[in-house]
Amino acid sequence: MTEKPELIHFDHISRIYQMGTETIRALDDVTLTIRNNDYISIMGPSGSGKSTLMNIIGCLDTPTTGVYRFEKEIVCDMNSEKTIKMNDNQLAGIRNKKIGFVFQTFNLLPRASAFQNVELPLIYAGISRGQRREMAMKALENVSLLDRASHKPSELSGGQRQRVAIARALVNSPSIILADEPTGNLDSETSRDIMTFFDELHRRNNTVILVTHEPDIAAHAHRMIHILDGKIDSDVVNHKMVKN
Amino acid sequence: MLEILKMAISALTAHKMRAVLTTLGITIGVFTVGAITAIIEGLNSSFESQVSMMGSDVFYISRASWFGGYDEWINARKRKPIDAGLAEYISEHATYVTASSPMVSMHTNLKYQNKSVESVQITGVNHLMPTIEGTEISEGRFFTETECKHRRNLVVIGENIRKEFFPNTDPIGENILIHGNRFIIIGLFEKKGKMLFNDMDNRVQIPYLTFKKMMQRRNRGASIAVKAVSTGLLDDSKEEIRNMVRHYRGLKPIEEDDFAINQMNTLIDMYNRMTALLWAVAIGIGSISLVVGGIGVMNIMLVSVAERTREIGIRKSLGATRQKILFQFLFESMAVCSIGVITGLLLASGTAFIIQTFTPLAAKIPANWGILGSGVVILVGLVFGMWPANRAARMDPINALRFS
Repeated sequence: MTEKPELIHFDHISRIYQMGTETIRALDDVTLTIRNNDYISIMGPSGSGKSTLMNIIGCLDTPTTGVYRFEKEIVCDMNSEKTIKMNDNQLAGIRNKKIGFVFQTFNLLPRASAFQNVELPLIYAGISRGQRREMAMKALENVSLLDRASHKPSELSGGQRQRVAIARALVNSPSIILADEPTGNLDSETSRDIMTFFDELHRRNNTVILVTHEPDIAAHAHRMIHILDGKIDSDVVNHKMVKN
Repeated sequence: MLEILKMAISALTAHKMRAVLTTLGITIGVFTVGAITAIIEGLNSSFESQVSMMGSDVFYISRASWFGGYDEWINARKRKPIDAGLAEYISEHATYVTASSPMVSMHTNLKYQNKSVESVQITGVNHLMPTIEGTEISEGRFFTETECKHRRNLVVIGENIRKEFFPNTDPIGENILIHGNRFIIIGLFEKKGKMLFNDMDNRVQIPYLTFKKMMQRRNRGASIAVKAVSTGLLDDSKEEIRNMVRHYRGLKPIEEDDFAINQMNTLIDMYNRMTALLWAVAIGIGSISLVVGGIGVMNIMLVSVAERTREIGIRKSLGATRQKILFQFLFESMAVCSIGVITGLLLASGTAFIIQTFTPLAAKIPANWGILGSGVVILVGLVFGMWPANRAARMDPINALRFS
């Protein structure tokens, strides 16, 4: 089997918080490679560091030590004598074009319509109005919500809201989709619908990372990473799914 | 950029009432400055044109100085009245003078058929008055020297009187009653508008000898209007006239002048001082309320930023740069300001309209209001919006996203 190209590489990354006199190692010397079209679940109890891992992958947080490369480009290198770090605009650019976030609480703008929510990353990417409309509508169509384009989030069900959020995450064709407890606020049936979406995304060659503490959600992934106390406890192939 | 502007505006529409209340300070500031500038502009447009038309080469001889205050006025009451004959004396003997006319006036009622106008200022003058004051006759004519000498009951009326009595008909040749005496209208003054506290279109002029005949028992004396040959020779002319008046009034060399030579220039000086004061008041009140208003805007923007912490987190996670967040909130604070500015300017133009229509004062909307308005929007919006916007821009996305 040929190795797929490397997408994300963590080289001995730690994230240390100073809380008063206490030092918290949210991530402790993590080395990890994520490749194109991986379908990964990250599990662990709360406080294990999975959110921190997620935030660093998503360029929302920077590690205290270690090197983080995204598509071979150095996002930050805290080990060399002079630390190398992308500036705010570069990080915003990666978040905008390379990463699609899906959150547990959907995080849609409440006053904006579904269409406007999906359009938002395109605005920040500086795409022209006409093209934006086309792309956002296509993204909504992909999540079968074309008829709800002008609805506000409050007029949509939980499942529909999460689908809008997924459409928004996908609209810029990102390299990676980061989903943080995407079914955490949904009932089991809607959760299944949403999960078939992620399965489908993976089938269409997207890279998907799910952060969850529900084993049956994690079981959708092809590679399961378990985190405990800021360290990778296990990183295994989910043979059941890979065979399919 | 346009999109960010739209975001800012949509955020405002979500809290309309709050936005309006916030901007009250700015509204008041802009309103004050706007209304005062409208009044000054109104005064300027009527005052300057007319003062200059009346000429800086015209002066008036009267018992009291216009600007002497109360004491001067009390002193002047003891002085001998100015004799209307002085005008003729000046016209005959002075070298630096083009024309001069006596001016005697009173307030009385005008009647035409069953209509009447109360308390109109009637001025008795000679045939040279239009030359001195630079007034134009739009219809008919002014009275002649002969008509004046023969004490004819002729009258030239202003536009307001015509409107009152002859809204649709030709006034020339009609009879009106002035102080119970029948007068024939022979001319109509061209419309001139308001000047300081006087409406120039209210005036009515009759031959001064007719005036004298009519008011025999109550002769309070006149003043004399004199037009110098040219502005350049004004000082020579004034000096000549001063000596001439002293001689005419039989003053001994050691006695002081018992009359005053008044001039529009003095009026202009006073006017300039008054408008400067008005400006100072406008700028004072304006800047205080703008600062107060600006702090209000800053306060509400800080609230807005705090309330929308999560939104900021979402936007950042979707790739909004610091700059874009900064601009979003700066635009929002400028939009808040522009609400205040627009309301203030609307109120001020309403006030200007009311002043113009219902009071003798003139008011005019200056052309530079647009500049004033956008200047305020930009300045206050930027200065007081910067801190909240910067706070939003520098927010840590993780904490912002966790915020509920």
